[in-house]
Amino acid sequence: MRFLPLVLKNVLRKKTRTLLTVCSIVLPLFVICILGTLLRALESDPSDGRGMYRLVVRHKVSITNWLSDSQTSKIRQLRGVSELVRNQWFGGSYIDQSAKNQFARFSTQDPEALLRVFDEARIVRGSADEWIHDRAGVLVGELLMKKYGWQMGRKIVLKGDIYPISVELTIRATFSGPDETGVYFHHAYIEEAIPRVKGFVGWFWIKTASAGDAMRLPHEVDALFENSDRPTRTETEKEFQNGWVSMLGNVKLLLTSIALIIGCVILLIAANTMGMAARERVTEIAVLRTLGYPKKTILGMILGEGILLSLLGGLFGLGLFTLFYPGFRKAIQYSPMGGFAAGMGSFPDPLLLGVAFAVTLVIGLLSGLVPAVQAARRPIVDGLRQVA
Amino acid sequence: MAEPFIRIENLVKAYQRDTQTLTVLSGLNLVVDAGEFLALMGPSGSGKTTLLNLIAGIDRPTSGRINVGGQEIDGMGEAGLAKWRSRNVGFIFQLYNLVPVLTAFENVELPLLLTNLPRARRRKQVELALSIVSLTDRMDHYPRQLSGGQEQRVAIARAIATDPKLLVADEPTGDLDAKSGEEILVLLERLNGEFGKTILMVTHDPRAAARAHRLVHLDKGVFKEDVRAAEGQKEVGMAAAIAASAGFEPRP
Repeated sequence: MRFLPLVLKNVLRKKTRTLLTVCSIVLPLFVICILGTLLRALESDPSDGRGMYRLVVRHKVSITNWLSDSQTSKIRQLRGVSELVRNQWFGGSYIDQSAKNQFARFSTQDPEALLRVFDEARIVRGSADEWIHDRAGVLVGELLMKKYGWQMGRKIVLKGDIYPISVELTIRATFSGPDETGVYFHHAYIEEAIPRVKGFVGWFWIKTASAGDAMRLPHEVDALFENSDRPTRTETEKEFQNGWVSMLGNVKLLLTSIALIIGCVILLIAANTMGMAARERVTEIAVLRTLGYPKKTILGMILGEGILLSLLGGLFGLGLFTLFYPGFRKAIQYSPMGGFAAGMGSFPDPLLLGVAFAVTLVIGLLSGLVPAVQAARRPIVDGLRQVA
Repeated sequence: MAEPFIRIENLVKAYQRDTQTLTVLSGLNLVVDAGEFLALMGPSGSGKTTLLNLIAGIDRPTSGRINVGGQEIDGMGEAGLAKWRSRNVGFIFQLYNLVPVLTAFENVELPLLLTNLPRARRRKQVELALSIVSLTDRMDHYPRQLSGGQEQRVAIARAIATDPKLLVADEPTGDLDAKSGEEILVLLERLNGEFGKTILMVTHDPRAAARAHRLVHLDKGVFKEDVRAAEGQKEVGMAAAIAASAGFEPRP
């Protein structure tokens, strides 16, 4: 500890360089935290564990292929199926096709069952009954309500693209829950307008009686329709969500790779700075050793400088991220990727912050290691000779 | 008869440069008594600084023995040697080698940080060392705020902070003007006379060498001359020796 003031003075010896190095750690670390948050959001379970009881049954070929209503009763008869809901992706557009107006639009054949399957969702405004009994009613996520400043009873028009109709819906209820950026309305509305779509289902959500059923049922469901004209693929809710993410490519690998590359860049910058700082002080270090400073003390001092520099960058970087996190979360929530925000808490993930902090410590240690070992190993007389 | 403070026997130092072996010191023998003020002179490359480094324990001999203050330092390990240096040797360099980001006080305190002395005691010791070099009023100044002579005095204060018995000075006046150099030499004389420090000084400056009690002239790694000034006539004796060996005018 008695050498700490000396370490501190050495770190602040070239203030501009120190500032630039700290900045070169702060900004990439900020980006790493952003990427890490996205990764964590992708990996998270916004259903708070309830998703483990839910299964999704979709067409084996693609989610864009429809299943048949006739499959409903067969699935219902399977042991362990406690609830079932039929949903459709309506798609379409609200106002226009721009990114800012993108949000999830679903229709459902079973409004009542929907609320039982997703029992973690809570009706905030209006009532479930009002929505269930109004064929032109729509259930809206709270975040979406806030985004557009909608009020209860407001009419919204969704222009279809898959379905060649426009639906005029009245907001009857709002919900809070894992993903508050979607809307749900009655599929009967579409069926009335386009009778030929009657009897088709986009996918089934199944709520199982137990976790064991959730493990068993996918095989049973798929076996049931294996030789039918509409074969199924049954997945857990998590697998289904991961499927959506994987449609963007291997996002997790991409984000992890970018974060790793950025980490390596920080390491190189910090190592370069430390190397420069140690090279500039070859004589000084030799003088210290002449005075009797043992190798391990020299090693510790230079490593300490590296760690201190990284810690400064790390603390500022994490501080900056914590400061910007609410804004970042809000931006994600209101973006077309709003669904991912469901996995983001109100505060930055402590585990992520801890890992990022540990990464800065490791970077500090590694960046100072080579210069420290070189400085400690260099013969004193060689160091002193550099004066001349 | 008292045991000499420094005893060097058959000292050899050779450097390996690619396939060539360069012998800098060839079988030197030297005895220095405690309290001596010895000047090492000789042309560049004669091995003066190498000898000084070996005696001070910052370099290793190829062969031979070095005994300083009763301790065989040639056989010491790296850590042991560092510890020995911190307690027994004070270094004075030509270019002062102060740490620019530390104040005079902090520079002098550097060797004391290796001791177990409490903060207050360290402070007392630093103040004492700075008072000996008459720089108490400059203790909060940074090296860049001091003149060359003052910087060297701070370096001397740093060298004596732990009260070592041996001071080694490598051209301590080499980078100073005549007046400042004179002040440093007076200070070294005082440290030798008043505080009993044994001083080994490498110098090219005959006037600096004239302050020593003994002049050792080194050339191509061997001693050419070893002159001791007669008691009471040190300066005259040394000056004459220098004049004879190096062709310089003795001090009047």
